[in-house]
Amino acid sequence: LADGILLERAGVPAVSICTDAFRLPAQAMAQAYGFPGYEFVTVPHPLASLGVAQIRALVAGLMPGLLRILGLEP
Amino acid sequence: VDPAAAGSGPPADPAPGDDAPLADLVPGDDAPLADPAEVRRAMEYYAGRGWTDGLPVVPVTESYLAEFLARTGRDPDDVVFSMPHLNRRCTVRLAAVNAALAGCLPAYFPVVLAAWDSLTIEGYATRGIWQSTTGTAPLLIVNGPVRGRIGLNSKGNVFGSGFRANATIGRAIRLTCINAFGLRPHLLDQATQGTPAKYTACIAENEEESPWPALHTDFGLDPSDSAVTSMVVRSCIHIEARHTTVPEQLATDIAGTISRTGALIHRTISALVVLGPEHAHLLSRAGWGKADLQRFIYDHAVRSRAELAAAGKDAISRHTRWRLPADHPDAMPDQAAAEAHPDGVRVLNSPAAVLVAVAGANNAGVSAVIETFGPRGGPPAVVRVAEDRRPDASMGSDQAPAEEQA
Repeated sequence: LADGILLERAGVPAVSICTDAFRLPAQAMAQAYGFPGYEFVTVPHPLASLGVAQIRALVAGLMPGLLRILGLEP
Repeated sequence: VDPAAAGSGPPADPAPGDDAPLADLVPGDDAPLADPAEVRRAMEYYAGRGWTDGLPVVPVTESYLAEFLARTGRDPDDVVFSMPHLNRRCTVRLAAVNAALAGCLPAYFPVVLAAWDSLTIEGYATRGIWQSTTGTAPLLIVNGPVRGRIGLNSKGNVFGSGFRANATIGRAIRLTCINAFGLRPHLLDQATQGTPAKYTACIAENEEESPWPALHTDFGLDPSDSAVTSMVVRSCIHIEARHTTVPEQLATDIAGTISRTGALIHRTISALVVLGPEHAHLLSRAGWGKADLQRFIYDHAVRSRAELAAAGKDAISRHTRWRLPADHPDAMPDQAAAEAHPDGVRVLNSPAAVLVAVAGANNAGVSAVIETFGPRGGPPAVVRVAEDRRPDASMGSDQAPAEEQA
């Protein structure tokens, strides 16, 4: 999450992605970085045990939210 | 209130031959006069602010804080520990506030400062390991004369409760993590389960009952120096080995504990062996020094390829070096696969990946393996404790917390 904020501050459009298990720590980290309203994308936990097809499906599902944060909503 | 009479149930039966154990809990004439409601109000204020690990903390006034700061020559604004990724720092003053909150006496403060210096050198915590889901805790090992001066326990129940210096010096680190760095559970502390050591973990080496030189002298300090060595630890595993007087059998038992597959997360791991004095003397009587034990463990902390395959840990990730199954898309062979005996995988990269200390009572064949987060062969972070700047002062317990605002 911090990387996403640092990239944004460096002028590189970025979106942080984490699983929903890390929503609260991610918000706390954003607060620690002086960016309390920072928007990020969450996906269902866990990731580590997913196969390739499941990961592809998960990425397809998160794309609309990711594009919206980037300002590319249709 | 007489706490022995305050419970709702019948009083516990005294142990046979025990005169009146509960009578000791009745306050005597020397009990301080204080308004209990005010004491509780102060406690609840701190709890309400979240300045706690869950247990009550000691109210800290400016004058009590000054007693801690008087024990060091360092400037109150000196930075003792940084977490650059959080842009947060702990100063001498903040370390002192949290040591006082934790229940330390001012005389303990030089040890707390040495602990922070050691944790800085150790390095994992500055890079964020205390926020990890792994859920590690710092372990502090204290050597030298300061142990006796401040009453650190090195003998019976050394990992347990009952000794103020051990309990509160370890707790001072935890409260600083919470209050100075904001490492609160469920938020910036993401530990999946954590460890009981997160409340406090501070032991002293039992130098007096060890057959070998003290830990800090192995790394260049003098026996007359006091020192703190910190480690980041995953867990503390109990080894009860009363069954043998054969050094190789005892050392094999220890090596087998170190090499359990659950501990084998990376390509190799590291450990601290805390021998009870009885085990240390068993080895010493057979002519073993610490280096002999380290070498034996290095040679025998081995898992077969088949055992690792059964646990899905027979290869390592080409990206992270974490162990994973050989059929994983990121898998590559581990180092042992290219060696003379590819079917026997050493879990340690060198004898130095095992450190040895002696602590506990000299009363049984009990030792412990501490699973450490490194060093995996480098020297440990041994830091000399600076002189107490007020060695002639009391420990600091005579502080009268007169009408001051906490």
